[in-house]
Amino acid sequence: MENVSTNGVLTHLSQLEVRARSPGGPETQRSRVKELRAEAEELRGLREQLKAEIRALKDPCFRQHLQELRSSADPRPSEDPPLLQMMCRQLDLKDLLHGHHLIGGLDAVQTRQGRAVCVSLQTTYEGVFLETFNLELELKPRVRIGRHNIPPFVPLQSLAEQSRLQTDPGAFLSTLSQHLNAFVGRRRQLQLVKEQHASVEVMESNLPCSILVLLFTAQTEKAAVLCTLEYSDHGSRLPGRVVLDCEDKQLLKSPEWRSCCATLMKTPVHRALARMKKSSLIL
Amino acid sequence: MAAMLEKMGAENADEVKMLEGHIEHLKAEITSLQHQKEEIDRDAMFHFKGPMLDALLIVCRQTRDKDEEVVMSKLKEEVEELEKDLRLQTEMNGIIVENCKIKTLFRSEGKWIRQVCVSLQCSHMVFQVDFQVSETKEGPTSEKKVIGLNVVLDSDDLQNCSGFLSRVEESLDLLLLFRTLRNFSDRCDERSRTFQHLQEKFPSVVSLPGGCRSEVMSLRHPELPGCVVFIHWAVDIFTEGTVAPKINLLTKISEKALELFPSQPVDGAAEAFQSLLRILGPEAAVECVLRSVSLSQGDNVWGEKQLKQS
Repeated sequence: MENVSTNGVLTHLSQLEVRARSPGGPETQRSRVKELRAEAEELRGLREQLKAEIRALKDPCFRQHLQELRSSADPRPSEDPPLLQMMCRQLDLKDLLHGHHLIGGLDAVQTRQGRAVCVSLQTTYEGVFLETFNLELELKPRVRIGRHNIPPFVPLQSLAEQSRLQTDPGAFLSTLSQHLNAFVGRRRQLQLVKEQHASVEVMESNLPCSILVLLFTAQTEKAAVLCTLEYSDHGSRLPGRVVLDCEDKQLLKSPEWRSCCATLMKTPVHRALARMKKSSLIL
Repeated sequence: MAAMLEKMGAENADEVKMLEGHIEHLKAEITSLQHQKEEIDRDAMFHFKGPMLDALLIVCRQTRDKDEEVVMSKLKEEVEELEKDLRLQTEMNGIIVENCKIKTLFRSEGKWIRQVCVSLQCSHMVFQVDFQVSETKEGPTSEKKVIGLNVVLDSDDLQNCSGFLSRVEESLDLLLLFRTLRNFSDRCDERSRTFQHLQEKFPSVVSLPGGCRSEVMSLRHPELPGCVVFIHWAVDIFTEGTVAPKINLLTKISEKALELFPSQPVDGAAEAFQSLLRILGPEAAVECVLRSVSLSQGDNVWGEKQLKQS
């Protein structure tokens, strides 16, 4: 208001004009005020909630209640207030779901009002949790594979047919999980070979890690040995065929080398190589 | 009019400024409160939110402005959603999780170790698995791994699996363990169904000395007490968790009977059975043996015919 008295009528009119034309015109300003008021109220609510939580956390009786809720092994006595019983049920359900997720390696969530299921498939190798793959299964009108991020060399359609996807989606997911875990396991073995065995050269490998060609040096005469591992069963982490090749044919006929062939068929490659090094078969 | 508009405009602008300032202040307060909460609650026991949080505050009488009925109904909705999820997971996994207890054994900055004890039921098999999981978070990277695994069995079926179980406990392969146990359970069910079905169909010839969940079925013709044929149907677990049935035929024939019959059909029985298995599959092969033991032609079983006549 002081502007009017200090700057004169014309200035004042031009200011009004500017304000009317600018995005901060009276209408939009009012809605902005509304927005801000709502935001402020929400934040005040959040602040009060946090204050209440902190007060509760500082209260020893509250902490005791929390401990009891989390550690009760037996079903709670029925004299407990219904709210407490419902809370225990929620905690139990969450733990059961967590259990399912860990043992099955899959997390299934219904989407699109029950018309589809989104599944996250976990992979692990030697106890370490590795990457997760996702797949959507449309349930109606028939069970059908929808969107997914599964590598293209995994034969989804034929796996679906083999495991009767229509009648038993669980069996399909179990087979798919096996294939994904096998692929990730083979890939991890290759990584470990590169990390742990610098003296072994990786000559060839492919995307699904179903072929591996290694070059190692035998202790005897420092002969070069070429080893081909073929993983014909893509659902397995062990090779179906092992072929050893060396210029010195006699070397491979020795009992140690024959048994090493057998070891390579039954043991993950990085561990087999470690054994071969330990028994001084290779450098 | 212009003056009024101007007045409103100026008031709005002032209020906007005031509100924006107030909001900044609130945000700063909230950040500091969140830090305070994290400081007090190092165990992160307090990660309830939504209706669970409201319920907890009510139960501990820490709040007066939450309506218990409203909170109860919201919590009930959440519980129903979780029950739906559990049914879906159970169907997908093919295993019933009866009980799952998760306990935090150790927690420090960016690392925690949890003990998980799960009791499971897979068709007729009941067992318990205990394992420890460790999680480490260092900046953007995080690593989660199983650091201990122990299978406690309650089921007789799994006595033959001790080799597989100790291998899997060593390799810490949780997923392989459960997938294999599920496949093993399916195979045992298949055997049990076949045994039961055959016993119902040929009651005078078939007997299951160990019950329908056992590995052995014995066949004997009621008129030839000294001659028994055993079917031993084992379910084996190989490396990488492949599960396959191994069925063998064993004969127990008295000396006298052997004298009367040429030994070839008896000696060759076990091998012949293996060929039959390869051609017909387990159920049909066993039924074939059954029919020959019962000396029946076509569909009329000797035992049943006698019963009908008497």
